[in-house]
Amino acid sequence: MSLLEAPETLKITCSTTHLADRLAIASRATSTRASIQVASGIRISAPDAEGPVELAATDLELSLRVPLDAEVEEPGSVVLPARVVHDIVRQLRTDRVTITSTSGDGRAKITSGSGEYGVHTHPVEDFPRLPEIDAERTFELDRQVFGGTVDRVIRAASKDESRPVLTGVLVHLEPGRLTMAATDSYRMAVRETALADVVPEPVEAIVPARALAELGRLLGSSSGTLAVCVDRNMIAFGVDGVWLTARRIEGQFPNFRSLRPAAFEHEVRLPRAELLDVVKRVGIFARNNAPLRLSFAPGELTVSASTPDVGDAQETIPASFGGDPFSIGFNADFFRDGLDVTEGDDTTVQMINPIRPAVLGGSDDGFWYLIMPIRLS
Amino acid sequence: MPRIVAHLDLDAFFAAAEVIDQPRLAGLPLIVGGSPDGRGVVATASYQARAFGVRSAMSSAEARRRCPTAVFVRPDHARYLRHSRAVWALVDLRVPLVEQVGIDEGYLDLSSLVTTAREADAFLVGLQAEIRSVTGFDASFGCGTAKVVAKVASDFRKPCGVTVIPAGSEAAFLASLPLRTLPGIGPKADARLREAGLATVGDLAVLADHRLARLLPGVVGLELRERACGRDPRPVQRAGLASSISVEETFEHDVAEPDVLRAIALRLSDDVAVRLDRAARGAQTVVVKLRYPDFSIATRSQTAKAPFRGPDEIARLALIALVRALRDRPAPVRLLGVGVAKLVHSEQLRLFE
Repeated sequence: MSLLEAPETLKITCSTTHLADRLAIASRATSTRASIQVASGIRISAPDAEGPVELAATDLELSLRVPLDAEVEEPGSVVLPARVVHDIVRQLRTDRVTITSTSGDGRAKITSGSGEYGVHTHPVEDFPRLPEIDAERTFELDRQVFGGTVDRVIRAASKDESRPVLTGVLVHLEPGRLTMAATDSYRMAVRETALADVVPEPVEAIVPARALAELGRLLGSSSGTLAVCVDRNMIAFGVDGVWLTARRIEGQFPNFRSLRPAAFEHEVRLPRAELLDVVKRVGIFARNNAPLRLSFAPGELTVSASTPDVGDAQETIPASFGGDPFSIGFNADFFRDGLDVTEGDDTTVQMINPIRPAVLGGSDDGFWYLIMPIRLS
Repeated sequence: MPRIVAHLDLDAFFAAAEVIDQPRLAGLPLIVGGSPDGRGVVATASYQARAFGVRSAMSSAEARRRCPTAVFVRPDHARYLRHSRAVWALVDLRVPLVEQVGIDEGYLDLSSLVTTAREADAFLVGLQAEIRSVTGFDASFGCGTAKVVAKVASDFRKPCGVTVIPAGSEAAFLASLPLRTLPGIGPKADARLREAGLATVGDLAVLADHRLARLLPGVVGLELRERACGRDPRPVQRAGLASSISVEETFEHDVAEPDVLRAIALRLSDDVAVRLDRAARGAQTVVVKLRYPDFSIATRSQTAKAPFRGPDEIARLALIALVRALRDRPAPVRLLGVGVAKLVHSEQLRLFE
């Protein structure tokens, strides 16, 4: 019997903290947009008395399937309103919690200790069909390498929904190598790294950055291996039995290699931690689109910023700069992100002129962070 | 020493840009504009299409009737702006003082480069060839001692013309031209002057004070008569630090069709984008201004979340504002203006558009 055909009655009992923990994970794929009401729900499926219990949620872009350790007294399935159920379960102070629903009355009951909480449910038949994971097409990847690469590039992805391609991260898997790239058109982060895992066939997919951010959370809270399954329309990641599925973004990702300038006028090595601190302090004064100004002079770099009606700041640090003095402006957040994600004690800043892209790099040769300046007036 | 001013006008600019990007279109009657099946409007026609009587702002359907073999291309303003930048970057290298007034036209102050009409002619012929070989675009130039003379002269021989009016012969050059060729003479002024029996720019140049005061009262009339004589004190000005930038157009006939107004708004948006670009500024608000036949004025503004600069964003916001204005008062329009306000000094550059 498939999960979708499970009867609508259900009674399960499990650990309260375990349920709260699992609901917290599944809730990440729920949507509160009114147009798709069932997307604000979490489906609990217990197909049979012995079998596994699963929480599932989807906002149609992202879906999560989360296994739940529970005793099944009555097999069935129900779609609960995620928000209210999650809110109540994490407030419970008793050890065990029971969820019961009866076919057809549109209600479910959560009981714990002397408490009884009734909630309206969503129709199970309205719950979207979730993509199947094809075990044959599933392979494992080094979680450190994959997760570490996501962390380095994801901040450069766009949050502007009007250009869907840029809200994704380009993930390119090929024999021996993993490449990821993300850009919001103002900056771009690229990392190419060696991969020991065997990939059945090369994959080039634009994966929603949101999905990779969720994957980062999953990896952060578990130590299991990372399983990946790719098909034409979707990509799925499995960690400790939790499956995160994302719709692949269609379209042409910018040709990131061609955007990197071939030659630079200036190359300056700067102490990364010290510069990061300076940028964090001075950046407070670069608000409302005001630039962070980097002024290079022989032997030193002055970082300054000024926002009308807020104030101004400047700090000077020694720098291995020997050319004619010049100034270049950057968005403070973008520049700080770049320093954050480069590795090593020193950051190399390569520049052409104040209106051409600059590149930040560190000890990792396979990583580069391209950033466009703010034109200074 | 008299100033020497040139006016540069790129020939059939949008159409030429399309031919550069798609060489297979070369030599064809090409129309850049809206679809002839819908209610689109011609933005630019190649000279091959103009030979069939196709003109800017004509409905695309009418254009296809006149020229059934025409190839229609939808305009891509961001791409045209990139082409335009290449041309003006080259001009900036050769001429120290440049005032770009549109995506495809601008004034060049040659006073520091040449001293005689002959030198000006040689310089402009050289610049024309260089623009052609570096960017692929054809340009027409007019040159004289004042902006008005240069502007009229650039239109005198098109395409690929270079017309230099020597100092002292400005009035003679302008005298025989129809009134409407003089910048600043709109449809109303033209009609009024014609009714009074004037036909040429020369007729206006010698118009007596009392008749001028009756026909074109106030400063406007005096200024137009000066221009008719080839005198124009406006200097060539580099993009300044204005707090807003706007362009507007007064129509020959009142325009009621929303599609035509949209097409004009798109063209004006391009010109605003060019000026904003040259001022190295971004903006946060687009303002659309409409004047109705009763001289009442309506403005609608549209503000974006982040500063912008490109023609597409300006056009997008301008169309939203235009639709709102027309919804609030659906009536024929005498004048349409597009402008940007809330200019910001610094602008975040992009890796790609």
